Amino acid sequence: MNDAPVLRTVDLEVNYGIRRALAGVSTTVRSGEFVALAGPNGSGKTTLLRAALGLVPSSGGSVELFGDRVATLSVRERARRVAWMPQAEVPRDDVPLLDYVLYGRYARLGRLEGEGASDRVAARAALDEVHLGDRAQDGILSLSGGERQRAVLARALVQSTPLLLLDEPTSHLDIGHQLDLLERVRGLVRGGRTTVVAALHDLNLAARFADRIVVLHRGRVVADGPPSRVLSPRLLQEVWGVASELRRDPRTGLPYLLPRTLPAALELPESTSRRRVHVVAGGGTAAELLRGLADTGCAVSVGALPLFDSDLEVAEELQILAAVEVPFSPISDATRAELRRLLGESECVVVAPFPVGSGNLANWEELARHPRPQEIVLIAHDPDRPWDFVDGRADAIRRALIAGGAVEVADATAAVRRAVGPATAIAP
Amino acid sequence: MGGSPATPGPSPSPSTSVRRRWPLVGLVGVLGAAIAFSPLFGNVSIPPELVLRLLLNRLSGGSLFPAPCAGFGVSARLCTAYGEIVWEERLPEVLLALGTGAALGCSGATLQGVFRNPLADPFLLGISSGGTVGAAVVFVFQIDPTGNNLVLPLFAFLGALATGGVVLLAARSRFGSVETLLLTGVALSSLLSSVLSLMLLLNPTGSLQVDFWLLGNLGAATWPIDGIVLGVVLATGTALALYGRELNLLQLGPDVAQALGVDPRRVRLDLLVLTSLTTAIAVAFTGIIGFVGLVSPHIVRRVAGSDYRRVVPGAAVVGGAFLLGARDFALWVIPSSVLPIGIFTSFAGAPFFAYLLYRRRGLSTMGAT
Repeated sequence: MNDAPVLRTVDLEVNYGIRRALAGVSTTVRSGEFVALAGPNGSGKTTLLRAALGLVPSSGGSVELFGDRVATLSVRERARRVAWMPQAEVPRDDVPLLDYVLYGRYARLGRLEGEGASDRVAARAALDEVHLGDRAQDGILSLSGGERQRAVLARALVQSTPLLLLDEPTSHLDIGHQLDLLERVRGLVRGGRTTVVAALHDLNLAARFADRIVVLHRGRVVADGPPSRVLSPRLLQEVWGVASELRRDPRTGLPYLLPRTLPAALELPESTSRRRVHVVAGGGTAAELLRGLADTGCAVSVGALPLFDSDLEVAEELQILAAVEVPFSPISDATRAELRRLLGESECVVVAPFPVGSGNLANWEELARHPRPQEIVLIAHDPDRPWDFVDGRADAIRRALIAGGAVEVADATAAVRRAVGPATAIAP
Repeated sequence: MGGSPATPGPSPSPSTSVRRRWPLVGLVGVLGAAIAFSPLFGNVSIPPELVLRLLLNRLSGGSLFPAPCAGFGVSARLCTAYGEIVWEERLPEVLLALGTGAALGCSGATLQGVFRNPLADPFLLGISSGGTVGAAVVFVFQIDPTGNNLVLPLFAFLGALATGGVVLLAARSRFGSVETLLLTGVALSSLLSSVLSLMLLLNPTGSLQVDFWLLGNLGAATWPIDGIVLGVVLATGTALALYGRELNLLQLGPDVAQALGVDPRRVRLDLLVLTSLTTAIAVAFTGIIGFVGLVSPHIVRRVAGSDYRRVVPGAAVVGGAFLLGARDFALWVIPSSVLPIGIFTSFAGAPFFAYLLYRRRGLSTMGAT
């Protein structure tokens, strides 16, 4: 398939009824690239991928795969050139996983030709690649959302096409599998097996794995280039409306955008009569606590938490102010300052029973250093579960806090009741 | 279905049961037994052993049991008459039931796959209404005074095919989504039933015949008709069975199917042409026989999993066996029965379908919620 670009769009326009989904998108993907499509919801990422597959008709401009206009290629030929991992796929029938992956071989088989041994070998290899090798005979409906997403990737892999389109491939995966999947995909690209275009709404993941980021906003390309050029606080502010600061991952040297806080509208109002409660948590130990506090109408803040922490997800959902840190790295001075500010502004601090390692010990250190006119409520740890992984340093601070007047309660419900105070206590 | 346990038990996951092939062989066995037993039932009482002797005599060209009735105390004339009944009535009826049941079964399975809907049946797109109007034209306008047994089927066939054709035109149009097709089918059915009502109001004498026709019966069976039905059903059924892989992919949604290399609109059109033809031929000779096309695919799914490469041929096998069973049951309960067979298929099919709904498993594998 010659030197023509793998995928090329020229002034591509796609309309859904009266809504313009793509308004003149021109971009070229060359063989061996890993291109990330980024942009907020509704920016046209999925539409661009669907146009490349010939699933949506263009109302202007053109889409070419390896030099041929998509519309002129047969459906079968398209399936030999480009594989797709859709954003959401809901299978209806409980077919065995192996058969499901073998569906990917369809375009390579003759009309009446059955799948042969080589197809099965390819399918099993693809399943191994996504760590589902031992589930080959299980029904697809017995898989979890994340496993299913990996199964769909395996199916796309057995199509063995020179171009692979991924639409939010990590949306149902936990952070470990997100990194693993993108690492593998990048390995495929590096190994020369395929070219990848992936819609990723997480700019930081895009920056970490892609060679190039194309940012779409309202159906137009607003930035296109290597991550180091594309990522900027200004872009995040303009396209996503989020204030952020640019940092570098100390180990990889790759740029990282750190949302400073949640959107500006969520800053706490200055003159509020609501009781301010700060929660120190991590690792999903505070979901119930955060919800409980939010329900009582307290002005809640949380932190410091690493990006992607499940407590942070709850906080975002509840629109709770948070001090945020880059994952897998120690808490920086800037974040410490943010934490001190939040601690200082609160009338009550609740500490969830979260596991403490060297990365988040700073939370305890700040608690210990903080002059505390306010009340501190500590939720008791499960005695059977170790939580202090810093040689008792966190536990020592904890004991000192209790000695200094901090209150220990049994669980989240008791903590909420305590934090809200007797005057505003809500009915259980 | 004695093979499938009533309770799933503590199986590690529901998926261990998805790959099942042997049950399909069992279904073929059931069909074989149904074919073998069915000639024993009829509206004239003939001892089973004599039926077998008469059949073997005819099948062997007279070399086996040269005197089939010897020892049964049956006169030579009666013996000839019995021979005619078995050979010219029962056997053709059995084969017509087989062909019709198979046609309805594989059409139903295919349409459930095309529409991704477990409640689809062969009459979904108005083919029954079209066939009924075609038949009603014959009854109401008394087009067939000579009693030629091919006029009624011809009109019914044309009516059914015309309806299918209109729906197919809708499928070919720019808006040929699954929803358009269903709505066209529903609209067309309503239109045709008002045409039918109007015709019957203008000429009420045809209404009893139409009612009878609507319930389906196997009375039209003759060897030439069997030849037509079995020939067409074998051809279209084989073609349908070869689309199993495409149907499997269509279950993932039209976009995913297309990305994997299946042109959903072309495949849908092919399958609608084939099922329309198959169903129209069945409707033409037997009228409307309900529930066979709806229930058979679910039975196959329950015993053999939901792979369409097995469901489509399996539903043909089950459909044939189901219709034969209904016929035998009718003749066993009321030996001189001339009751329309559709009554019995609904009689058995409706409660069974309710059972499937209740159990959910047959439907849940189709994603119906």
